[in-house]
Amino acid sequence: MRGLADSEGPLIKMACIGVGQQQGTLRTLLGSCIGVALYDRRLKLAGLAHVVMPDSMGREPSLGKYADTAIPETIRQLTLLARGLRLSLTAKVAGGANMFSHVIPNSINTIGEQNIAAVEKALALHEIPIVARHLGGLTGRRMVVEIDTGVVQIHLVGQPVVFL
Amino acid sequence: MKSLTNHQLERLTGYLLAGAADASHALSIWLGRKVQVSMEPLKSVSLEDATEQLGAPEHSVCACCMRVSGALSGQLLFGFDDASGMRLCDAILSRERTSTKWGELEMSAVMETTNIVGCAFLNSLANTFRTSICLPRVADDPMDKAWIPTPPIFVRDYAAAIMQFVLVNQTHELDSALVARTSFTMDDWPVDWRLLLIPDSAALIELAGIIP
Repeated sequence: MRGLADSEGPLIKMACIGVGQQQGTLRTLLGSCIGVALYDRRLKLAGLAHVVMPDSMGREPSLGKYADTAIPETIRQLTLLARGLRLSLTAKVAGGANMFSHVIPNSINTIGEQNIAAVEKALALHEIPIVARHLGGLTGRRMVVEIDTGVVQIHLVGQPVVFL
Repeated sequence: MKSLTNHQLERLTGYLLAGAADASHALSIWLGRKVQVSMEPLKSVSLEDATEQLGAPEHSVCACCMRVSGALSGQLLFGFDDASGMRLCDAILSRERTSTKWGELEMSAVMETTNIVGCAFLNSLANTFRTSICLPRVADDPMDKAWIPTPPIFVRDYAAAIMQFVLVNQTHELDSALVARTSFTMDDWPVDWRLLLIPDSAALIELAGIIP
């Protein structure tokens, strides 16, 4: 374990967004969903979006749920925290697994892949570089963002922690 | 999307209760031990909260998952923590609390248990539906109305991650999920086995249309 306990700080639930500054952690659990961690190293600002679906198709009630709305909403919340200072964000992304490939219909199987593509597109649109990825596979992930360093921990059940 | 009325939810809870009782009976016979069952009232929960139905979101748990097609399409999960899973293996394999890890035999045993419990639950539900609300028989429309579960698969992962996978079909159209949760306990052994039935959005439309 590095520094702070990795369970300190808010757990970002499905389709939700969390932001923080200076210290603590943000964490989320991922299956086919994508965790998008945005980080400003100079300001020590971190945001974590739990993206469930690729495209809002104009729906607005749950901004954190869709890739095309979650990224701009996370940027908006980080901008508020920055209090007028210019943001310089990088992204680390994780998730998009396919756990139940043979018991879930084919269209659902590809949700993870669609989410990955949609997140990459949305980040490119906002000119945010992806500096680390931990995507795909067959198992869930626990994603922990260390706010003071921007380091992202990826936990998989029964396996060593991966640091991004 | 048309949602179920409170009256429809109450009636559906009654049908599910009968299904849970039959599943419990099947489990008792399968294990050769008395199994108690308790079913929580059927409830609609937000997607965020639905991910906690299998246990604390960050805890690793085991689940055997079956997809159900037909009139009540959705996901059926038989879930438990490691300790409760090992006690299930002990009961099936006639061991004296000596099961300690998930091997091929143990996983096969709990998947077979899921088959038995899940099919007892679904058979009971199908019969109740046909007698109570005249759901068409399989022969009327075999492709559309048959209640066919897939073979179960075993996963061991974070509770919230497993739930995300089974909820993904609801997330297209809904921000909530209907969850039927049944808990089983065994006479003298401390166990926590949970059977979750999560109808998908197509099933919710169907149910809203056929339950009086």
